[in-house]
Amino acid sequence: MIQLQNIRKSYGSHEVLKGIDLTVNKGDVVVILGPSGSGKTTLLRCVNFLERPSDGQVTISGFTVDCKQPGKQNVLKLRRKTAMVFQHYNLFKHKTALENVMEGLVVAQKLPKEEAKQKSLDVLEKVGLSDKIHHYPSQLSGGQQQRVGIARALALSPEVILFDEPTSALDPELVGEVLAVIKKIAREGVTMIVVTHEMGFAREVANHIVFMDGGVIVEEGPPDEIFSNPKEERTKQFVRRITPEWSYVI
Amino acid sequence: MTIDIPFIITCFFEIVTALPLTLVITVIPLIIGFGIGVVTALMRIYKVRFLHRIADFYVSFLRGTPVVLHVLIIYFALPLLIAKLSDQFGWGIDTASIPILVFVLTAFSLTAGAYMSEIIRSGILSVNQGQVEAAYAVGMSTRQALWRIVLPQAIGGILPNLCNLFIGFLHTSTFAFTVSQMELLGKANVVASVNLKFLEAFIAAALIYWGMTIIAERITAFLEKRVTAYNRGGIA
Amino acid sequence: MGKAFDPALIFEFLPKLLAYLPVTLFILVAALFFGLWLALLIALPRLYKVPVLSQLAAIYVSFIRGTPVLIQLFLVFYGLPAFLQLFHLDVSRANPLFFVIATYSLSSAAFFSETIRAAVNSVDRGQIEAAYAAGLTGRQAFVRIVLPQAGMIAFPNFANSVIGFLKDTSLAFSIGVMDMMGRGQTLISATAHALEVYIGLAIIYYLVVIVLEKGFVRAERRLQRHERKWASA
Repeated sequence: MIQLQNIRKSYGSHEVLKGIDLTVNKGDVVVILGPSGSGKTTLLRCVNFLERPSDGQVTISGFTVDCKQPGKQNVLKLRRKTAMVFQHYNLFKHKTALENVMEGLVVAQKLPKEEAKQKSLDVLEKVGLSDKIHHYPSQLSGGQQQRVGIARALALSPEVILFDEPTSALDPELVGEVLAVIKKIAREGVTMIVVTHEMGFAREVANHIVFMDGGVIVEEGPPDEIFSNPKEERTKQFVRRITPEWSYVI
Repeated sequence: MTIDIPFIITCFFEIVTALPLTLVITVIPLIIGFGIGVVTALMRIYKVRFLHRIADFYVSFLRGTPVVLHVLIIYFALPLLIAKLSDQFGWGIDTASIPILVFVLTAFSLTAGAYMSEIIRSGILSVNQGQVEAAYAVGMSTRQALWRIVLPQAIGGILPNLCNLFIGFLHTSTFAFTVSQMELLGKANVVASVNLKFLEAFIAAALIYWGMTIIAERITAFLEKRVTAYNRGGIA
Repeated sequence: MGKAFDPALIFEFLPKLLAYLPVTLFILVAALFFGLWLALLIALPRLYKVPVLSQLAAIYVSFIRGTPVLIQLFLVFYGLPAFLQLFHLDVSRANPLFFVIATYSLSSAAFFSETIRAAVNSVDRGQIEAAYAAGLTGRQAFVRIVLPQAGMIAFPNFANSVIGFLKDTSLAFSIGVMDMMGRGQTLISATAHALEVYIGLAIIYYLVVIVLEKGFVRAERRLQRHERKWASA
């Protein structure tokens, strides 16, 4: 279980997150929605301390880090319970697909090389890239790179995978293959927090929607409720603007 | 104008015997300088308290002064310093017994460190921040991220600069001649004065340096292709 | 070995050395002046791919970049008189300053020609097309449009080379020029305090380099002021 308590984040005098509380249960697929600048990506990056929150507490399966005095070792321990999929993939440029997936297993989790390799091959197969394991990122399409990114996260067997707008840097025709992979692993019961603009995906895959605006959670609940019957005015406006069809078709 | 062309060839073979010493004076400082460069670059990037100011000054001062002065200052200062320390702690070192080569290598290493520091710093800063974030996200510590992700990528990016530095130091090694080292230039000078044929001797020396430079450029071009193979795209 | 190290002597030597700073700066400025014109002459055949001339220019540049400046200095010192004798010019008794300026002109020309070439090649092709479209001749397009833009691109590189050559002038003493280093040598012969002299020289060179760097940064900002206006608009 993941618990965020009173997470605050300021840049100078500008407060981006104004005290966020959020609980994510094991196996949940939580999708965070909101207009740009609402703080949703910042919140996601606070979970693994890529952004250091100014205040609050992050708890992942019983291990709590206080944001006021996190301490290097605690942050490292927390990060090893999570994994992240980035908007711009951020694959290690000087390593092949296979080496990218193995890196965390060998270096951070200290798995024996053979075991790490087997595990990596398994997840790469799961994302449909068994034939590309020796390719460098520069030799892969955006969609393939992002699937390696997902494999890299999945291989770590984390408590939760954090997805930061995983499809928004992709060409429209490549979005589908990546969403299909995320859907597939969501069905296998992997806990995930997803920041995305893909409404169809949110509606279909999420079991909990969080709507953020101006650094606060405006409303949260099951997808049906949020999309069909939003209570807050800001949610209504947002949902009206982007549904029924939010797509890349030009 | 009389140039004794056959004598240039004679000179060439005589002078080239000093090539190993020139290479020692070129390569060893670059290796030691690389270590100094990494350490000082990290101090400057992470703004290590107090130390980063010293590193800043070290880099700026050595890059801002002629290398020939580094050689001369170390040549005169280091023996004084060693003698003083030796007296104080009773090591009993006779500074006259230390080979001059040690002072030359010390001076060039310090010089190389300053130039390396600047190159390595720019290389590290050019690595995309996303690479570091991804390293953290898979659970690496800062040190692991640095050694496994940032530095390997930085080296690929700065390889052309490192080659230029090698060529620069190949040429800089001639300054060792001011403290009477028998490297290529020193040797050329001896051959020239013994035979009283200065122009021929220096032409021969120039050809050796020119050839070495061209070889170094070729090797770099080859290495560059290999090291940054991951950036080339296409199918492996 | 000299006498005991005396830091106070450094300050005593500084004014004596500084008196010869003008000689050092004169070498630098004269060499840069001739070097830049020569550089343009070397760069043009390569830019316009003139047969034979461009190959000769390439070999010249490769040779200068491939040899230490100290060797170049000796080559000119011993080679130039022999060469000029062919034309019945006797320069064997000329002031060594002449050879130093000749060497650094020839040397800087090679480096600057590379800088010029790279900068001209990096000027956007569209700029030249626009110049032609506006009815400028080839020469007008080069002089009025390409060169000013190339100059701006080349400036940081140029500034670095100037600082490099300032430091290299410290080698002139090896053929007997009375610049700061040369004066330093005479001070050492007179006092046997080599270390103090060299430290004094290092301080002076360092300060001059810092002043030059500051000046170049300012000049660069001025040169690029119209670009910055675009950026902030």
